[in-house]
Amino acid sequence: MGTGAIVARPQPPRLSRVVNRVVGGLAMPLGSVVFAFVVGALIVAATGENPFSAYAALACGGLGIGCTQGENPALQISNAIVFAIPLITTGVAVALPFRAGLFNIGAEGQLLAGSIACTAIGIEFRTLPEIVLLPMVLVGGAVAGSLWAGVAGVLKATVGAHEVVTTIMMNYIAQWFLRYLIIGGPLQLAAGTSRSSPIGPGAQLATLLPASNSLIIFGLPASVYRVHVGLFLALAAAAAFAFLLWRTTLGYEIRAVGQSQKAARYAGVSVRRTIIVTMLIAGAFSGLAGAIQIAGVDHNLTDKFFSDTTGFDAIAVALLGLGSAVGIVLAALLFGALHAGGSVMQQDAGISGNLVLVLQALILFSIAANFVGAIRQQIPWFRRPMAPPPAAPVAALMTEAGAPDTGSTGI
Amino acid sequence: MTALSDIFHLLFTANLWQATLTAAVLLLLPALGGVISERSGVVNIAMEGMMLTGAFFGVVADLAWHNPWLATLVAIIAGGLMALIHGVVSIRFRADQIVSGIAINIFAAGLTVFLVNRIYGLQDVGHVGQSELLPNFNVPGLDQIPFLGQVVFQQNVVVYAALVLLVVVHVVLFRTRLGLRIRAVGEHPQAADTAGINVYAIRYGAVVTSGLLSGLAGAFLAIGVSNTFVPNMTDGRGYIALAAMIFGKWTPFGAFVACLIFGLGEAIYANNSTIHASQYLLSMLPYIITLVVLAGIVGRSSPPAADGIPYVAGSE
Repeated sequence: MGTGAIVARPQPPRLSRVVNRVVGGLAMPLGSVVFAFVVGALIVAATGENPFSAYAALACGGLGIGCTQGENPALQISNAIVFAIPLITTGVAVALPFRAGLFNIGAEGQLLAGSIACTAIGIEFRTLPEIVLLPMVLVGGAVAGSLWAGVAGVLKATVGAHEVVTTIMMNYIAQWFLRYLIIGGPLQLAAGTSRSSPIGPGAQLATLLPASNSLIIFGLPASVYRVHVGLFLALAAAAAFAFLLWRTTLGYEIRAVGQSQKAARYAGVSVRRTIIVTMLIAGAFSGLAGAIQIAGVDHNLTDKFFSDTTGFDAIAVALLGLGSAVGIVLAALLFGALHAGGSVMQQDAGISGNLVLVLQALILFSIAANFVGAIRQQIPWFRRPMAPPPAAPVAALMTEAGAPDTGSTGI
Repeated sequence: MTALSDIFHLLFTANLWQATLTAAVLLLLPALGGVISERSGVVNIAMEGMMLTGAFFGVVADLAWHNPWLATLVAIIAGGLMALIHGVVSIRFRADQIVSGIAINIFAAGLTVFLVNRIYGLQDVGHVGQSELLPNFNVPGLDQIPFLGQVVFQQNVVVYAALVLLVVVHVVLFRTRLGLRIRAVGEHPQAADTAGINVYAIRYGAVVTSGLLSGLAGAFLAIGVSNTFVPNMTDGRGYIALAAMIFGKWTPFGAFVACLIFGLGEAIYANNSTIHASQYLLSMLPYIITLVVLAGIVGRSSPPAADGIPYVAGSE
């Protein structure tokens, strides 16, 4: 089918073009989620379980819909939002380097660095008042995450060590360092425990609802609803990401480097500096996520952080959100709901919450491979002459213009 | 400073070097797989997930059939099937190969624990009996050589197999027509296609082979070195193997040298009972070594020219 045919086609009326664009934009992410749930159902069915009861429990746990075993819908929605908060911030931390053509798989390590710094500062200066201490722990967390990511940025910019490998190594180093700190190390609460002492009250983020046991909201005391002020910080981070990317010189440079390092260099952009700065900013977002998690939810470091996967979920969040701020927030809410739903699924339906990881991987496969586009090619009334061939949308995300000119992307 | 002198003393024990070779082989098998896959032009960071899958199905099969050889075969096939997914997604659907690799790793982590709960409930997976593990084998005569005998010739059967595979992969890649084709496809697929080489077939073969090797490593880990399956028991070995491959400049023997360095770090950690330092700080060692090696020694090593670029037949 030649391009001549396209030119000859009459232009469709305006409204349907807008509709087409919106539907076309949403088709890939939504289709990928549908694809993941269908294949996930097949996997559940193949292991002899009922996928419908699994998904019913997931919907109850994540969305508060159709609960049969006495779960409180309001509480489930609240939990889902609490899970979504760090996913928004780390999602941004993955999406920003994407625009520069960098793959930040180290959001998890950066988040841990941020939570460690937040806890250490929050304990050390626990007597300080909130107006001083709260900014200290949040900034401290962001700086720690920034430095953690900066290692990968500097190694990439100076010796060309691939950021995928270096950020993964930094993840493991952060995890083991955390273990050391709270098991036998300086932050351990007491011998035999695997947790730190709590941060000072001045370092804690307030919850949206008063932490009162006498105030009853939706049938439960207000203190069980854990949604905290960090939600607004996360939304502000997403807004800052969009502003930085589209309204500042640095954002322009980041996108220029992502599209073509060669062209960016000709345009006078320092590629090395941009790579390092991008990683520093991304790390600050992840570190902030870790600090918010400690200040808003946990108030101390525990062994639960050993198996934390927020920074890896963030990769799926960034891709599913197609690298846009609004998309990232929506995708984070979806994954927050999946996480909250996973534990209910385990309790009610007896199906491992790890199914959520399987769904997440399936979403990644689908986005990366553009299964949705491939399927649309097979359905006659969807097939349009201008439909692009199945190509990696991730590359498009990194470069906007299409194929990267950097040659080999090998690691 | 006591910790340093402890490590120094450790360096003169045959036990340490024996453990080093074992740990190195756990990395070498997936690293060889990575070399083959990336030489054909497909970036593979999924060794971690393929190894984990192999470990899980190896244990399941061994517990069911009480036969380590059959279990190893199952593990190898399981690794190969995971690799096939990576192949279809990144070759047929031309996906971003890093995203596909991450997806494989997340998929493997989720699926194995999901299946543990389905098959074994909330209890432990259970332990494989001593007689049902992949056996050690002392090479008669050679194992009596002082020091070297214990290090090289008192090892698990998989170690010998891996050393043979090391030579085989090197010879195939650099001394045979098949190897030339693999490298041609990874450097310039258009030219290879013009010369009549089936680019897709070569790439599928290379990716699946990397899965088979990673599956074998998984079996060695679960029913050779260990005797059970623990969630995420691969502990980043697939990723370290990836770093070893880069350090070795995409050559089998280069990767082996890197694996020995990383293996030494792990062996020091495993022998930490004689070292006066936190075991958790020591655990950071292999990863820090990896970073330092990547930062200092490698410099700008360049991957195969078409590595990571999906091939579209007929493109310029």
